[in-house]
Amino acid sequence: MTAGATRDGGEIEALVTDRYLESLLALGLNEPSQTPAAGSIVDRLQPQVRLASERLAREAPRYHPSFRFEERVALRLAEIAASMRVREAAGGEGTVVPIGLPDAGTPDPDDLLFDGPLDDRPDRVRPLLIGGALTSAALSLAGAAFAVWWRTRPGTTPMERAVRAVGRGRPA
Amino acid sequence: MARRAIWNTDQPEEAGPPRITHLDRDRALVAAARIDPARFEALYRKYLAQVYSYAYYELGDHHDAEDATERTFVAALTNLHRFEERARPEDGQGASTFRVWLFRIARNVVADRQRARYRRPEEGLEAAATLADGAADPAAQVARRDEASAAWRAIERLPGDRRRAIILRFVDEMSTTEIAGVLGRSEGAVRVLIHRALRSVARDLDEGSR
Repeated sequence: MTAGATRDGGEIEALVTDRYLESLLALGLNEPSQTPAAGSIVDRLQPQVRLASERLAREAPRYHPSFRFEERVALRLAEIAASMRVREAAGGEGTVVPIGLPDAGTPDPDDLLFDGPLDDRPDRVRPLLIGGALTSAALSLAGAAFAVWWRTRPGTTPMERAVRAVGRGRPA
Repeated sequence: MARRAIWNTDQPEEAGPPRITHLDRDRALVAAARIDPARFEALYRKYLAQVYSYAYYELGDHHDAEDATERTFVAALTNLHRFEERARPEDGQGASTFRVWLFRIARNVVADRQRARYRRPEEGLEAAATLADGAADPAAQVARRDEASAAWRAIERLPGDRRRAIILRFVDEMSTTEIAGVLGRSEGAVRVLIHRALRSVARDLDEGSR
């Protein structure tokens, strides 16, 4: 038998197994006696694979985290959602970016979304972007402009004008 | 001149893009969460147990599984704007590309956690100490006995992607198409992975029953 024929045979067996699993998992297996009825797929399936499938479907446990954990994470997600809404309402300027990678166990969000090397990245400190930076800078510029205008504006009374003239005449 | 019927399949160049007949089953929830991030909670509640189960099978420790689960959902929420629905008619009814996307995040979070453990083996000792502390707790003992069922142990012994494919198929009840999306493999490769994994499990269970 050629290698190609063996491979094709394996793929056909895998396809038969897949079809069987479709019908097996669709049953839900609440009762141990519930298994797909005998038919063309069941007859073509390897008996040991069928038995293993049925045992896993019945016995492989499903886990649920504790209620406390569930609610704690729900609260955290709600807080994040609220901060996202606030950022959006403020025009979406700036994003909260971690200042650094606190430990090796904290993954880069890009790595979480896309497959790529997680392991080989050098430890690095991310650039810091603070959402309010633009607002603070704008306020500072406005303050400086106001101070310049205040100092240079013409006086409204003769006394004020005289005081300013004396002030301008003083050496710096 | 008679008007051309819009369903005339002889004129594909004028028919426009093919109509999507099967939509992502989470489309409405995802759309709501995009408008109001607080609505992400519905997706969180829906998939919490599935993500947690996957993480627990992979990491074998409740604390690590909780940590991985939390990171997964936080990453999903903050990056939801990057998710693209890619449901195709051949994915079948009930397909969820959002679930595939979520599990891809979970897979990478878990892999990162496993690598961190490898780099810092002292965590293994901490985990061992936690287990030892729980030994006196009868409830914990019962839970561990249940977890140590033959099926669980057989899955645990499988290598890499075979184990992941079996967990996603049997525990999370994903379709072959969805598993292919999560693992980044072809559907044919996933079918072969699962078939081979089941043969290994069969051998394991057979030896265990002797």
